Amino acid sequence: MKKKLLLGIGVLLVALLALFGRDLVGLYYLLDHIETTTKAYEAEGAWPQVADACTGCHGANGSSLHQRYPSLAGQPAAYLTAQLHSFANGQRSFPNMEPLAKTLSEDEISRLADYFARQPAIENHGFQPDPALREKGEALVATGACTACHGATLMGQAQFPRLAGQGVDYLQAQLDAFAEGRRTDPTGSMKAVTANLSPDDRKALSHYLAALAPAAK
Amino acid sequence: MADKPTSSSSFDLNRRQLLKFAGATAAVGGLGLHAGLAGASESPQGARDDADGVLDIAIIGAGIAGLTAARDLQQAGCDSFVVLEARDRVGGRVLNHDLGSGYISEVGGQWIGPGQTAVADLARELEVGTFPTYCEGETVILGGEKGRLAIDLKGTFGTDETVAAKLSDLSRDVPSGSPWKSSRAAELDKLSAGDWLAQQNIKPEDRSGWDTSFTLTCGVPPAKMGLLHFLSMVNSASCDYMKLDSIKDSAQGTRLVGGSQILCTRMAAQLGDKVRLSCPVREISGWNTDVVTLHTDQGEIRARRVIVAIHPALCNQVRFDPPLPEGRAALQRAWPAHSPARKTAMVYKRPFWREKGLNGHTIQVKGPVLWAWDNSPPGGEIGVINAFIVNAQVPSDHQAAQRVLTEVYARSLGDEALSPVAYHEHDWGQADPWSITCVSAIPPGFWTTHGESLRPSCGNLFWSGTETAEIWAGYMDGAVRSGHQSALQALSSLRQA
Repeated sequence: MKKKLLLGIGVLLVALLALFGRDLVGLYYLLDHIETTTKAYEAEGAWPQVADACTGCHGANGSSLHQRYPSLAGQPAAYLTAQLHSFANGQRSFPNMEPLAKTLSEDEISRLADYFARQPAIENHGFQPDPALREKGEALVATGACTACHGATLMGQAQFPRLAGQGVDYLQAQLDAFAEGRRTDPTGSMKAVTANLSPDDRKALSHYLAALAPAAK
Repeated sequence: MADKPTSSSSFDLNRRQLLKFAGATAAVGGLGLHAGLAGASESPQGARDDADGVLDIAIIGAGIAGLTAARDLQQAGCDSFVVLEARDRVGGRVLNHDLGSGYISEVGGQWIGPGQTAVADLARELEVGTFPTYCEGETVILGGEKGRLAIDLKGTFGTDETVAAKLSDLSRDVPSGSPWKSSRAAELDKLSAGDWLAQQNIKPEDRSGWDTSFTLTCGVPPAKMGLLHFLSMVNSASCDYMKLDSIKDSAQGTRLVGGSQILCTRMAAQLGDKVRLSCPVREISGWNTDVVTLHTDQGEIRARRVIVAIHPALCNQVRFDPPLPEGRAALQRAWPAHSPARKTAMVYKRPFWREKGLNGHTIQVKGPVLWAWDNSPPGGEIGVINAFIVNAQVPSDHQAAQRVLTEVYARSLGDEALSPVAYHEHDWGQADPWSITCVSAIPPGFWTTHGESLRPSCGNLFWSGTETAEIWAGYMDGAVRSGHQSALQALSSLRQA
């Protein structure tokens, strides 16, 4: 009797595994994923965090896969702080960012800037540059002295942003905005730089920079 | 105290205005003339105006709110008005995408739900039918590369209903139409929804669900959503969280046959050439004088009253001369606009998932898909999976985005998902400059600072649009309500002139 019962349980187990095996494995991996992501998240603080509000447009850990929404990962903290202040006080205009920046306290701004500055910049795999434009852009970077402010590897420094691996549409929108006076920078350098660039030059620069692999910091 | 879903005083006021107006209309009856309304001669084309070329009312925006207001004016016998629309189409934040063969998928606002009686009435009047969002069967929750759970959530998002019930209780103290008038406004407006949730011992496995539902419903995750505003939204839903943030018997539970934009195209058809497309208003001058001038891409339009039926953030793109009063200007500048959603539609020959016992819904834990759902037509003749996605977690390249999403759906629904017949997406932040954003992620502190500036008219400008609604602000229902309200206000103001 007992033996029969045991056998019965065995058959039942096999049947259950066959029926629900895939489901159980899937559930195991789901719980594992939640545990892993929770652990990584809590390393930055308790849930929920202000940086969550940035993910939608700027991506997980500040790396955006969308060419028009910029990556914040690896941007210098001083640059991020200055931009959030500029959005908040209306010096830099963008309808989505201005009201959001106004809601941030000084403490939130410094923590966000620090957080995104620490995130690794990743390569912009989603973008395929036009080879001719890329080549032209590379030459323009060499003659334009971009590295003087943005750093030898164009990874940014101090109040100057990382350009390497940034979204192509974002880069071009910014170059256009500087050229047309819709965006200004404190030193006025970008106005001077873009004054001599044709629309095609700006496109070429964007292609080169977007395809440039970020250097390890 | 305020356990009714609206501030009763202003609701009664509206009703009184309505009755007053109905009485006045009945009194003048067959004379076809209304005291204070301009224009005596019938004109077959466009708006009647005075000999001096001044209209009674100009409406800015041909979304649900503006068109509802226009329809009310027409029904009230006012013929001296025009609706100015910046885009080359009507609908504002509702838009149908044509899938061919008579099928559509909604690109913008698409659902109605319990208590949304204003939009339900409008749909009935326009002979637009409704049908339930498909949610019978198992929802699939995905996480990581291999994590997968298929579970029957009974038409919900799987929310912890004990936490939801606490929010429902709290919402009784926050009137939907004027959260800043709550007796607890000062205390609640200091907090974000995240501050509150952080005190609720939410388990790690439930956190992603709260993040997602706030992102979908409020346009921002909990840390930057004002608790006071969120509670006012629950208050709109008859003080029942599950009527706001669930599917069946909730604000995501009912769809409109022919797609939500049909409300607007039908109203616009009735209004004929009163609706002027591709006519953005760039400047409004003399709003504090008897005649307001609207400077548009099609020339100047002058009107005695103006109904501004556009999003507050869009008002920042209009020049006001003289500048608006500081309170209103500050409200517009601070109005959150950081919810530029990208909504997608993946089209299949059939809703193949249904025969597997799946409802076609996918929720991804920290992945690119916030929520995907079965958006097939009422008869299920073709299969459509719509989704709200995390914009920056899906490539901007159309084909790459399609590939990423079909791979997600293959894991949730099966390999058939790898072979769609079409893919469509719309990023409301990028498609054109005439929406900027969708739902309002009102931050902590907003209402106690700016609330009193939300509705009061400025000179002859009457603010409309769903953001100004007394109930269901932010929803299509709120848009209808705000349209009715602004039409009454503008007409009433003309009668007093």
